[in-house]
Amino acid sequence: MIEAPVVTSYLSEHYADEAYTTLAGYRSKGGYQGLEKALAMEPAAVRETVKGSGLRGRGGAGFVAGVKWGFMPEQTDSMKLIVCNGDESEPGSFKDRLIMERAPHQVLEGILIGAWAMGAERSYIYVRGEYALPAERLERAIQELRDQGRLGRDCFGKSGFSHDIIVHRGAGAYICGEETGLLESLECKKGQPRKKPPFPAQYGAFGLPTTVNNVETFAHVPFILERGTDWFRGFGTERSPGTTLFGVSGHVERPGLFEKPLGTQLGELIELAGGVRGGRGLKGVGPGGLSMPILPASDLDVGMDEESLSARGSHLGTGGIMVMDETTCMVRVACVISYFFRDESCGQCTQCREGTGWLYRLSRRIEEGRGQRGDLEVLGSVPKMMEAQTICAFSDAAAWPIQGLLRHFREDFQRHLPEKSCPFSEGFEF
Amino acid sequence: MPTIKVDGTEYEVEQGRSVLQAIDDLGLLMNGVEIPHYCWHPKLSIDGSCRLCQVEIEGMPKLQIACNTPVRDGMEIRTRSEAVQDARQSVMELLLVNHPLDCPICDQAGECKLQDYAFEYGVKHARTREPRRPAKKATELGPTIVFDQERCILCRRCVRFCREVPKTGELGVFARGEESRLEVFPGMKLDNPYSMNVADICPVGALTTKDFRFKVRVWFLDDVPGVCNGCSKGCNIWGSRSNNRLYRYLPRRNDAVNQTWICDEGRLSYRRVSEGRLSVPRIRGREVGYAEALAAAARILSEARTAGATVVGVASPFAANEDLFALRGLLSDLAAPAAVYTVPRGASDDLLIQAEKAPNADGARELGMRESADGPGAAAVAIVLGHGYGPEAFEAVDSLILIDTHESPLERSAEVTLPARSFAEKVGTFTNSARRVQRFLPILEPRFEAWAEGEILQRIGAELGLDRFRQAYDPALLAKLIAEEIPAFEGISIENLGDDGRELR
Repeated sequence: MIEAPVVTSYLSEHYADEAYTTLAGYRSKGGYQGLEKALAMEPAAVRETVKGSGLRGRGGAGFVAGVKWGFMPEQTDSMKLIVCNGDESEPGSFKDRLIMERAPHQVLEGILIGAWAMGAERSYIYVRGEYALPAERLERAIQELRDQGRLGRDCFGKSGFSHDIIVHRGAGAYICGEETGLLESLECKKGQPRKKPPFPAQYGAFGLPTTVNNVETFAHVPFILERGTDWFRGFGTERSPGTTLFGVSGHVERPGLFEKPLGTQLGELIELAGGVRGGRGLKGVGPGGLSMPILPASDLDVGMDEESLSARGSHLGTGGIMVMDETTCMVRVACVISYFFRDESCGQCTQCREGTGWLYRLSRRIEEGRGQRGDLEVLGSVPKMMEAQTICAFSDAAAWPIQGLLRHFREDFQRHLPEKSCPFSEGFEF
Repeated sequence: MPTIKVDGTEYEVEQGRSVLQAIDDLGLLMNGVEIPHYCWHPKLSIDGSCRLCQVEIEGMPKLQIACNTPVRDGMEIRTRSEAVQDARQSVMELLLVNHPLDCPICDQAGECKLQDYAFEYGVKHARTREPRRPAKKATELGPTIVFDQERCILCRRCVRFCREVPKTGELGVFARGEESRLEVFPGMKLDNPYSMNVADICPVGALTTKDFRFKVRVWFLDDVPGVCNGCSKGCNIWGSRSNNRLYRYLPRRNDAVNQTWICDEGRLSYRRVSEGRLSVPRIRGREVGYAEALAAAARILSEARTAGATVVGVASPFAANEDLFALRGLLSDLAAPAAVYTVPRGASDDLLIQAEKAPNADGARELGMRESADGPGAAAVAIVLGHGYGPEAFEAVDSLILIDTHESPLERSAEVTLPARSFAEKVGTFTNSARRVQRFLPILEPRFEAWAEGEILQRIGAELGLDRFRQAYDPALLAKLIAEEIPAFEGISIENLGDDGRELR
């Protein structure tokens, strides 16, 4: 089991309490009051509340959740679905795992509020295949609700509201965390993102109108209903309100999750994680999982919210902060990143399928000291060819970190060329 | 109907279509409006993965794929902007990262979209220094198709074809990323009645037919529009010829008949044009000159006419409408009853394959001929086109004049045998099972002396001094006469049929 955060706020306040994983324990801390409030409101009013809170999706794209909920058709004969994305696969991200393990009822309550707000009759929680305990905890929590007759018809005693929740376990592909790749996988097809249009709100899982939200996004929703949008907006920034569970990993003394408001300075989060290991100097930071451009040490003062990060040429992503100290070879980082994306590309779009492999082989050749003149120009141009032209954002995610590395750490790459080997001391096995 | 603007020109298009579909509907795709594409195919579902068809759309920040972007009234599309050209160049360069540059030994060269588009839109020099990813060469996917994995660009047209058209679904793309590979599902073979279409829709040299690969370089071929004579569907084809030799049929698009497909059996029926041909004129088995055989046939008929003996005619559902019309006229002048005919039958499906295994059974029907299982019955003379009936059908016939394209046991019973041109060696029309009249043009010159059935009959008729045969054989004239005499054919001429044909009234 993953350790509970040492720095908490409303979301993770009770994560150290084992009883919080049970229905009784969750209720004793005020759990399901948000849902009860929601059920006393009109669905449209619930949607307005969530929209008014400014809650942004916590899965990486940061889309405003309430707006997404508004895409669901109101007048339709089709059954509507909710899909909760628990396929957390972004390297550097491990917050959803913690939430599902420590607070499965937060997730379920958020889903049920969404179900009432959008008129969804069924939801699927797609849990990453390797996440055995989170899936088990969710299953147990759902069973607790069923045992008490709180799911199904007249859900939570609300006449006319029926909803059931099904846990579906993935089989281990990064791309299944992409909204529509996930829907394909949920339908037992190969996990490949769908072209849009149609969008999931029109044609989602099994062809039914579907809204997909991240685990953490749902976990915030009960608090918004219970405590109100003004309270929620008391955390974070104007455009990125609320807290999030920042994961800090890599070359730090005490890796872990830290719940802090969005907009918290990057340096503060690294300090919370005990600072750079062994008192070494900082070289670079990936601020939002593997997919976002890596920032130089000089960017420690950046606020960890989308607006502040994009002003520095990166993005918040999933808020998984990866710290690299001064011993890190950034060409090696490029190899590791491009290896990952080469391996995980679904292979549909030309740019992604071919570009990821090219980036990997090119970075690896440079790392192994076989770089040639002109290689850096090519390495700089391939990501541009992969950007903004594909079915999903995977190709951009594969391109951006390389662009960040070349922008801020070009010297590392240049040093490899004349030295005909990696100038950094530690050996590296491919 | 929404109006869209493409590179400044306005077009009215159908609601609900994508940009690429709308441009294809107008017949302008790659024919006035250049939007190169790989995965998109007019008769398959939209895939949206090759990303080559990206265009710029006013008001949209990113380029959009034309194949999956629905048209909107007032939409302004740019296909030649710098951003579009950059995107195309990127796709072309990336597709070549792992594609071998082995055009000189690739059978697709010359009709390869990768080659064409790389030339048109690609980069001049490869920037990759990495070796290309090795992959399987020349593997058999089934009895008809050879797969070269190195050359596959993963457009998945073939996968969608098998799922959507014959609905056999033998193919899939396995693994992911650059390891992705086309394969047949375990325990299966690519073996369905339409399997060879995958070679046509494969834009590169990954899928080729065992039948055609390495037979001839395609730039030596020229393609003639025709109609398959394998069954009564009348699938539109291109007959590819070189040096007076027919190398293959390719399906020719006709949305009213065969879409863009053809069955394997029909495709391979090109072989019948050269196999087992009747090439020698004979009189009672003795090899004679063409003119001599023709004179003998005329003499037999003339004697029968003088004697007031019974003459009967047998039509062939493989002959053209014009040939059948000539037979109809000759029989009428000889006071003979309407010709009979028989049609070979076999399996059918609900896609293209029809049970009647001849191209013009409906033509015979429309021209007033009578289908009969038994044959023409007793007569002094029978003029027989083709060998639909066996020798037993002519036991009560004294003299048989056989005009045929292929060798058959019927020759032994014939008094006179005259080799005829196959449909691939003449111009004419067939009427398909949906009562659509379609034109075919000569693909080959006959390799021996042979005339069209209609011409043979015309010459015999002229020999007999019959009025209607005074004018030299001319299929266009015959077609005109058909249109005048048979109400269903009203308004149809060889010229106005065009390449797509017309339905009978």
